[in-house]
Amino acid sequence: MRKVTIDPITRLEGHGKIEIFLNDDGDVANAYLQIPELRGFEKFCEGRPVEEVPRIVPRICGV
Amino acid sequence: MLTKMLAQLGIEEERVRLDWVSASEGERFASIVNEMTEQIRELGPFNRNNGGDHG
Amino acid sequence: MAKLKLGLYWAASCGGCDVAVLDVNEKILDVAEMADIVFWPIALDFKYHHVEAMPDKDIDICLFNGAVRSSEQESIAKLLRAKSKTMVAFGSCACFGGIPALANFATRADIMERAYIEAPSNDNPDKVLPQIKTQVAEGELELPELYDTVLTLAQVVDVEYFVPGCPPPVPLILKVVEAIATNNLPPPGAVIASDKTLCDECDRKKEEKKISKIYRPHEIDPDPERCLLEQGILCMGPATRGGCGALCINVNMPCRGCFGPPAGVIDQGAKMVSAVASIYQANGEEDIAQMVRDIVDPAGTFYRFGLSDSMLKRKRLQRR
Repeated sequence: MRKVTIDPITRLEGHGKIEIFLNDDGDVANAYLQIPELRGFEKFCEGRPVEEVPRIVPRICGV
Repeated sequence: MLTKMLAQLGIEEERVRLDWVSASEGERFASIVNEMTEQIRELGPFNRNNGGDHG
Repeated sequence: MAKLKLGLYWAASCGGCDVAVLDVNEKILDVAEMADIVFWPIALDFKYHHVEAMPDKDIDICLFNGAVRSSEQESIAKLLRAKSKTMVAFGSCACFGGIPALANFATRADIMERAYIEAPSNDNPDKVLPQIKTQVAEGELELPELYDTVLTLAQVVDVEYFVPGCPPPVPLILKVVEAIATNNLPPPGAVIASDKTLCDECDRKKEEKKISKIYRPHEIDPDPERCLLEQGILCMGPATRGGCGALCINVNMPCRGCFGPPAGVIDQGAKMVSAVASIYQANGEEDIAQMVRDIVDPAGTFYRFGLSDSMLKRKRLQRR
């Protein structure tokens, strides 16, 4: 199947890629949104003092 | 404080030692160094990355 | 004079540095007058293939924010390096690793397991994890490889300038823009901030550096006129480069080191250990033990923004 890739997606916060598969008629057979990033806040906040967490998690999103 | 911080970084406290030796205590210096050398030998090489990528 | 070509990119980032550039407000028009922005995912719709099609060194200046922790981030860093005359590590993540570098206390496996399987809000009974290649009915999907270790930009490509801060404060960004516009940049390798520590910039009264108790920031009501460290609150000022305007101090919060180590200091955390130890007044073993107990998270506090840039770079890796 023909594949159209949109990479990166833009004008939003975050990283993303869209893969669109077209059938023989040129219609969309399926489309997939992929998120090619992971920083791991859920893990590295463990063990940090609780009063420091409000200084760490705003860095999840600066917008 | 240093050993507490190094423990968080995965470094055993036996790899660090603090001692005071004066210039006139030659024998004591030698014995401390020998002890530490043996201790490190038993612990083995410090592999920070252990086959991880991009470390 | 031909307009400069400017590119901006974000790797393991939060978008705060991009927003900070926009925070120059109406001065963005001055930027638009002197430069054509040829790549900026948060604001413009250029794709990777547009960058790939550019001749080498076509971009005059690339402001790269975010740390590098995946194969895609590394390859875009290398792509932009090839296409740019000047690479700027913009923001604490690109300079030192930043908050994402706290992941260097863990491994890729730890992070994936926590994020996709263990976390209480997940609905993932089959324990599905993202894969580099995934077969679907229509074909194959690809994702980049996540690394175990978070890297700074300079650990992956050559970097000419470093602009620290989480995010770089607007006055500093304007200074950088001004330097670019007037072609008045310092010699390559420079960190565009102060050469002194934060303490030099901080307006608080400094009397005698002698403490006998360390408090967590919420445990006391600090005097807003006096040095925080002298009141027993851990403040990274002595181990941090100045140039931020002491923004955190001015709202009664201790510095956490986002401008990285001062000039001439290789390891920010080690510098802070040294600074605290040298001002602490202990009368015996029990006092020392109490101090160590009171510093609840030395590595996470002293390397809050700079773990990738430290001498050890990461916690010892134990592969499962």
